[in-house]
Amino acid sequence: MTNSRLLGATALFCGALLVAWFTHGTGIVKNDPERSISIPDRLTVPLQVQAAYNDTTMFFRYRWPSDRPGIFHDVVRYEDGKWITEGNAMPGSNPAGMHEDRVAMMLDDGSVPEFSRYGGYIAIGAGLAGLTEQAPEEVTKYLPMTRNQLGKWDDKAPDETQANLRAAGYFLDLWHWRGGRSNPVGQADDQNVGTGRDGDEGTGSYSSNWDGDLKQPKVMFDVATAGYKALNWEEVSGGKVSQDSVYALIEGATVPFDPNAGWKNGDVLPRRILKPATGSRGDIGVVGQGRWTDGYWDVTLSRALDTGHPLDDKILHDHGTYDVAFAIHRDATGGRWHYVSLPQSLGLAHQADIMATRITGAQPEWSDTWSDVTLFYPGQVTWPMLNSAAHAGAASIAKGVPVKFRHSPEQLTHYGIEREFKDEIRRQWLLTLLAGVALIIAFGVALNASIASRKGA
Amino acid sequence: MAAYHVVMIHFPIALWMVSALAILIRALSAGPLGQAMDRALPVFLVLGALFGAVAFLLGISIWPWETLSSTPMGRNHMLTASWSLTYFTLLAVIRLVHGDRIWEGLSRWVMVLLAGIGVALVGITGTLGGHLVGNYTEVGQFVRILGWEIYTTYYVPNLTLLIIAAVSVVLVGIAFVGRGRANA
Repeated sequence: MTNSRLLGATALFCGALLVAWFTHGTGIVKNDPERSISIPDRLTVPLQVQAAYNDTTMFFRYRWPSDRPGIFHDVVRYEDGKWITEGNAMPGSNPAGMHEDRVAMMLDDGSVPEFSRYGGYIAIGAGLAGLTEQAPEEVTKYLPMTRNQLGKWDDKAPDETQANLRAAGYFLDLWHWRGGRSNPVGQADDQNVGTGRDGDEGTGSYSSNWDGDLKQPKVMFDVATAGYKALNWEEVSGGKVSQDSVYALIEGATVPFDPNAGWKNGDVLPRRILKPATGSRGDIGVVGQGRWTDGYWDVTLSRALDTGHPLDDKILHDHGTYDVAFAIHRDATGGRWHYVSLPQSLGLAHQADIMATRITGAQPEWSDTWSDVTLFYPGQVTWPMLNSAAHAGAASIAKGVPVKFRHSPEQLTHYGIEREFKDEIRRQWLLTLLAGVALIIAFGVALNASIASRKGA
Repeated sequence: MAAYHVVMIHFPIALWMVSALAILIRALSAGPLGQAMDRALPVFLVLGALFGAVAFLLGISIWPWETLSSTPMGRNHMLTASWSLTYFTLLAVIRLVHGDRIWEGLSRWVMVLLAGIGVALVGITGTLGGHLVGNYTEVGQFVRILGWEIYTTYYVPNLTLLIIAAVSVVLVGIAFVGRGRANA
């Protein structure tokens, strides 16, 4: 009888352990749009990079997987006499497939000291748009020294200090290729990150195709050149519009919107009018055209080594050493729902994480040799948090230990997701710890009683 | 405190591993070697519990609570360390209270089972500790294969917590039923 009780107790104990093992990690991490939380199914994505340069021009080639080409950012769809916007920003993927694919690269020449060690993390200040704890006004990426205090998004350094920081090169150059809003005009958006994430001087490549007063688009396709006045919603939302067709409204190749053109349900017009960016903002061109083929984007960008805009761009030099970090948007995502890389070194004609080959021709003839970079979903990890008591590595950051020395992309993506549920996971972990201790003690009590009863029998 | 924790933790690990080996040998053999192991077992287990408690206290004083409870690897390390210490303390108490009677009947194999689980827990705790200080091993990969991504915090859902609580109550109930019948 004693043995049967002990056997039963042991079976219960082991059963509880097995239940704990097979159910662990469930019940907390889930999408929560109310808190701007949306976890992608795939946590890491490979990015391949090549780089080359000649006497005047720098070239980068990027290749990454994407299930479908995100060539539309947002559109307006005709439905029962009204034009409805499709492609509003939201946490995670837009269910209609609207929101353009993108590849972005931050570039520094050593003037932003933490960037080579921590990459884009330094630009994730408190209050950024899209965070669960976002500021009441839209706050974009910014660098730590542009604020008087860490964690105070609205406590900006004085204008004179900002100007001095900029003159000293304290900003990140941002190459921002957009599948819908820049690629059709053969450009990437030339931006920078300093006080915020801003466009370089000049005009951007896109404007709104929406007349708010008339509640209708401003322009439509020119039937004479495109062959149609509008696209079709089924094809647009199904990702079936070919890049070889006319799918973007490019200034000069459109006609004014005609409300009496016989619109029918499902007609679609892009919500953006494109034209080549000008000034410093138009420094980055697309070589050929960014193309999506067989599940992969293949994009090549080029820019003058010296753009003549040193307050907007990092000027590149033969044999120079730089730092870069990459990001992509795919699966119709925007905002912070992207995949990012750790910082990589870039060497012009010398060994580095990414080595740019010196060429003599006007354009590179790419080989099959790529630099492989693992991109990861970063979750919600801010620079103030990384420098706080909530991060065990804060002391290492203070010592200047690079992130790559302690963390892998695979590790960081899990940590980033856990930060999105920090309070819930901490509570559940503590309860689990205590429950485990209680279970062990309870089994000990049962074991003790079982042996004691045998002794007394 | 981190360095002292690293120094101190080797003592309970060694003592617990030897204890587990002693339990296995004694469970398999009642001969001279098994008897010798059993005589040494209380010393190993008690010293292991004492050194383990000291190492545990040193460990939780490395970081403030805010840091320790916010870091997935820190949480996991503390969780498995807590369970390891509880496990081997339980074994020490059982051995001290019941002497060599624990080797009679089914309880000897329960001791082997507990020791085995304890060894696995100590192994995982050590692995996580290594990861915490940047010494990565493939043991972490093995744990992943078994179903736990060690870069995520180990926790169970509320339903499982309820099941564990219920099982704990039943186990204590079994103990009282056993005691009642023994006294009858």
